[in-house]
Amino acid sequence: MTHNPTIVVGIKQVPDDDEVRIDPDTGRLDRSSAPAVLNSPDRNALEAALGVRDDVGGQVIAMTMGPPPAADVLKEAVAMGCDDGVLISDIAFGGSDTWPTSLTLARTAEYLDADIVVCGEETTDSSTGQVPPGIAAHRGWAQLTYVEELEPLPEANQLAARRDVEGGYERVVADLPVVVAVAFGENEPRPAGLHRKIYAENEFEPVTVDANDLDIDEETVGLEASPTNVGGMETIEGVDRERTVVDDVDELAEAIRSTEVFA
Amino acid sequence: MTDIDPSEYSDVWVFVEDHDGDVMSVSWELLNEAKTLVEETGEELVALVIGEDVDGVVEEAIARGADRVLVADDGVFEPYRADPYGEQFRAMVEERKPSIVLIGGTHTGRDFAGRVAVPTHAGLTADCTEIDVAEDGVLQARRPAFGGNVLATIICEEHRPQMATIRPGVFEAAPPENDRDGEIERVDVVVEEADTLTEVLERSTGETADVTEADRIVAAGGGIDGDLEPIRRLADALGAEIAASRHAVDEGWVDGSRQIGQTGKTVRPELYVAVGISGAVQHLEGMNDSEVVVAINNDPNAPIFDHADYGIVGDLFEVCPELADALEGAEQPEVTL
Amino acid sequence: MTEIIADRNTETPDYDDRFDAVVVGAGLAGSAAALTMADGGLDVIMIERGRYPGAKNVFGGVLYTPTIRKLADLDDAPLERYIAERRYGMLTDHDETAISISPGEWHEPPHNDSYTVFRGEFDEWFAEQAVDAGATLLTETTVTGLVRENGRIIGVKTDRPDGTLRAPYVVLAEGGNSLVSERAELKETEQRGNVAVAVKEVVEFPDDDNAIQDRFRLTGDAGAAYHYFGEGAVGDAFGGGFVYTNGETVSVGLAYRISDAVSGQPNPEGTLNAFKTHPAVAPLFRGGRTVEYAAKTIPEGGADSVPELTHDGAVIVGDAAGLVLNNGVHLEGTNMAVESGFHAGKSIVDAAEQGRTDADALSAYAENLEASFVMRNLRRYEWLMEAVENDREFVFRELPQALADAGTEYFRIDREPKESHAENAKERIMEAVGGYTGAAKLALRYRKIVT
Ligand SMILES: Cc1cc2nc3c(=O)[nH]c(=O)nc-3n(C[C@H](O)[C@H](O)[C@H](O)COP(=O)(O)OP(=O)(O)OC[C@H]3O[C@@H](n4cnc5c(N)ncnc54)[C@H](O)[C@@H]3O)c2cc1C
Ligand SMILES: Cc1cc2nc3c(=O)[nH]c(=O)nc-3n(C[C@H](O)[C@H](O)[C@H](O)COP(=O)(O)OP(=O)(O)OC[C@H]3O[C@@H](n4cnc5c(N)ncnc54)[C@H](O)[C@@H]3O)c2cc1C
Ligand SMILES: Nc1ncnc2c1ncn2[C@@H]1O[C@H](COP(=O)(O)O)[C@@H](O)[C@H]1O
Repeated sequence: MTHNPTIVVGIKQVPDDDEVRIDPDTGRLDRSSAPAVLNSPDRNALEAALGVRDDVGGQVIAMTMGPPPAADVLKEAVAMGCDDGVLISDIAFGGSDTWPTSLTLARTAEYLDADIVVCGEETTDSSTGQVPPGIAAHRGWAQLTYVEELEPLPEANQLAARRDVEGGYERVVADLPVVVAVAFGENEPRPAGLHRKIYAENEFEPVTVDANDLDIDEETVGLEASPTNVGGMETIEGVDRERTVVDDVDELAEAIRSTEVFA
Repeated sequence: MTDIDPSEYSDVWVFVEDHDGDVMSVSWELLNEAKTLVEETGEELVALVIGEDVDGVVEEAIARGADRVLVADDGVFEPYRADPYGEQFRAMVEERKPSIVLIGGTHTGRDFAGRVAVPTHAGLTADCTEIDVAEDGVLQARRPAFGGNVLATIICEEHRPQMATIRPGVFEAAPPENDRDGEIERVDVVVEEADTLTEVLERSTGETADVTEADRIVAAGGGIDGDLEPIRRLADALGAEIAASRHAVDEGWVDGSRQIGQTGKTVRPELYVAVGISGAVQHLEGMNDSEVVVAINNDPNAPIFDHADYGIVGDLFEVCPELADALEGAEQPEVTL
Repeated sequence: MTEIIADRNTETPDYDDRFDAVVVGAGLAGSAAALTMADGGLDVIMIERGRYPGAKNVFGGVLYTPTIRKLADLDDAPLERYIAERRYGMLTDHDETAISISPGEWHEPPHNDSYTVFRGEFDEWFAEQAVDAGATLLTETTVTGLVRENGRIIGVKTDRPDGTLRAPYVVLAEGGNSLVSERAELKETEQRGNVAVAVKEVVEFPDDDNAIQDRFRLTGDAGAAYHYFGEGAVGDAFGGGFVYTNGETVSVGLAYRISDAVSGQPNPEGTLNAFKTHPAVAPLFRGGRTVEYAAKTIPEGGADSVPELTHDGAVIVGDAAGLVLNNGVHLEGTNMAVESGFHAGKSIVDAAEQGRTDADALSAYAENLEASFVMRNLRRYEWLMEAVENDREFVFRELPQALADAGTEYFRIDREPKESHAENAKERIMEAVGGYTGAAKLALRYRKIVT
């Protein structure tokens, strides 16, 4: 990067967690009614990327792979301050698991001449956390996951990070290009500026690329190229709880004492 | 797409995660669980140990159930880094063609698993909570999806190996049997320091508690606002371990190894007291199998009350000490005159 | 960087004075104003603090649609049920005396323009109608103040970075908790006596699919609106309770004077719980589960507390202007909000044609509102609040008790002749109203409710 790095941020549109409901009649999961929102860990990714730009300059470009309505999350990213947004959309991508998804995102990062790719920790719908390491692996780039803080080292053409390791932390430096996955909740995503937000929501149009633009062989993406398949889904019966709300502490103590735990 | 022949792949591999000789308990949980898988398939149960000076770990892997241990012992592997681990692991997979590879769903496991699965075009199922093998040898990897409302079964029919990361705490570890026999095989180290892309400057780990063993847990959430005292007090009165929601961990109030939930541990204690925890799905996923759940929260609409046996709406700073007092009273032997 | 990106211009434009009008709040009043202005050819931006319009908006509620129907096509609007029955119940702490009205006409479109709705859905839909007409909607943005130049209002400040936006006209449609208008001294802070606290729950019946049809005797899309007053509803506070049927849930709530809420009266939650467990109300909620709880304030100062509606560069509409009729019999704010937004929008379109922004150029709004049902209704009932306040003990305690007792006496079955029952009943009423003279005085005082 030396200076002015190109920072590409992977963001995804997901169904709003809070609104995913079980249809009381069928017992089936009703995702259709849930509004589509930006995967919340990706906000931390955007903030981390914009933070690097604050430090050393450069460009922050958001990318999302998904159907055309996913462009909405790009608008949100641009409102927050990203310089541009790229919608990666092609029927060929349908049914992709993490393998082709990370392949596609890796190709896009390369297409955009990325020095740094920043992702969220995981998505709230598929919650694999595998896409960022996958992007790095497809390109043979370095990776930094569970990142709490980034520190660009432009002179050394490196990026340093503080990573969360369970029970502690470590500081790591990585050569560029590098893929970063920012730990969820680690930073305070900046609010969008008023005029930027008006622009992003009303005038901004993302760049759209497809498999052809990215020079991706259609056989290497989509359902066919996905090693994993969903074999079945069962709704999990919620654990039946007493759900007794007691009025005072003595009653609570009594309730706890009467459980088998104290027998 | 390169077609592969699944029948050329056999054996179940379990990655043994150690940091400087400390083994993550999920590794032993997996070794124990994998025993039932190889019983089905009649294959070998192979443990992988990567690190530096890992002889003790290798011995224990055998005592914990491995038929064979593959050891990659080199300074390049300590401390852990994704690129050398991934590279070494990949080389071993390509050479030896395991059918199933199980990795603990820790930060480390989830960090490098993709660096193995991508180049080998393996199927990788993340964050599983149940596994078994169908008659045709296909791994049935189950994991909660969509906010924990659904259990999805993920399968991988045409690609090998079938890889999965498994959430810590969902399986039980068995005690070591020190008289077990097993083969130890040292493998070629294919990574050189010069090829690595990253360098660890500093690593600092505190205690790594194992909350999955506790019978009683008092868990702290965002509501404690940085003050652990009420939690300690209540945990003392109950003889309970302290755990936490992600919020409390992210704020640095409680150590990360004590985090409960989707990206933390799964626990099933006899008693789980959620203090100042809202009850987000990601948290519930880690504690829903507790025997008895008690919630203390000042918001009557907090979702946690729907997932608790007993709840009290009140300020935790008042409720916890009072409850501790009331419970301590209970522990006193009754005096009959 | 690749050329496809390098060649693009994504600089942030300056939107100052790019819009003709800024609407503060995309509630009913705001969207009505925006829709009217957009239809009139103006460039309008609505600024809403919620994640989407209606996200946090609370009301009972029955939406009254005579004006909305003129502005938008209600056919695809998210309506829950039309109101087929209105019931007024007087509650003592254990009796109920009620009357019920369910005219056949209400079953026919347009259903007396009364529908239960969820504001979260309806407001979003209504704002969409404005957007479809060309308005711009900006959510998750709170207006924190107004910008003035030489006394004229020339824009708004928001809580966002780079957060000032200039525009020739500002429509203040921020609802009852009108901090922006108050801070800008366009209106006075409501006195406590003029504000009601309202609490509301939405209850579902997980184990009873027919709970609503059966308990409220309804078929199809028909719905019920039950109003309650008396001691059993809100204790000795000034106010009342309501129960409204939605599609699959029932809304139940209370509204009472904030002055009472601050003194004596237990907290709103406790009062609502007492109301819900009143013997006449509890059976409606058997086996029910609360899925939503909300609290809000309702302005109820009447015509007197309506502030100056037009200013140089700005107008105030809806609840922000105190346009709510809440007198125990009527609880209407939605129709007034929309009507006021409509007149305000029109006056801005006209003023813009003349290129003027001064208050005088906008005065048609105040005049048209004065001539409309909004101000006429508010003025008509102004006296009522005062009268009821003076007769509080009588209206909320003595009368419900007397009616209940009289009913008990009148229908008593024992071995006495009916004549003596009727006599006792009459006596009980007479005692409460203070004899014939008292009754005549009351009749005179309250005649305007029905005339
Ligand atoms: C990808 C992803 C993974 C995640 N993984 C996990 C995970 O593994 N584990 C996990 O826990 N979360 C996880 N989360 C986060 C989860 O969504 C919630 O944000 C988190 O659980 C909230 O923690 P909390 O309930 O402690 O805090 P808050 O949401 O801040 O809630 C605090 C609660 O305390 C109550 N309170 C406040 N003050 C008091 C008082 N004085 N007395 C009593 N009560 C009080 C409040 O009413 C509130 O209910 C994950 C999220 C994502 C997106
Ligand atoms: C419990 C209750 C029951 C009621 N029942 C009924 C009923 O049955 N029938 C009836 O007709 N009326 C009823 N009303 C009254 C009715 O709800 C109101 O009169 C009506 O909603 C007023 O509409 P409005 O657009 O003026 O304000 P609101 O609906 O309050 O809308 C104001 C909007 O402005 C936004 N906003 C506020 N401040 C800012 C800011 N600074 N920046 C950006 N945005 C802001 C808000 O988020 C909101 O979307 C009831 C009210 C209550 C509280
Ligand atoms: N379709 C996608 N488009 C862009 N980025 C994605 C996509 N899917 C995943 N990512 C990124 O990868 C991260 C981890 O996702 P996952 O592996 O699906 O849990 C997300 O937080 C995003 O930053």
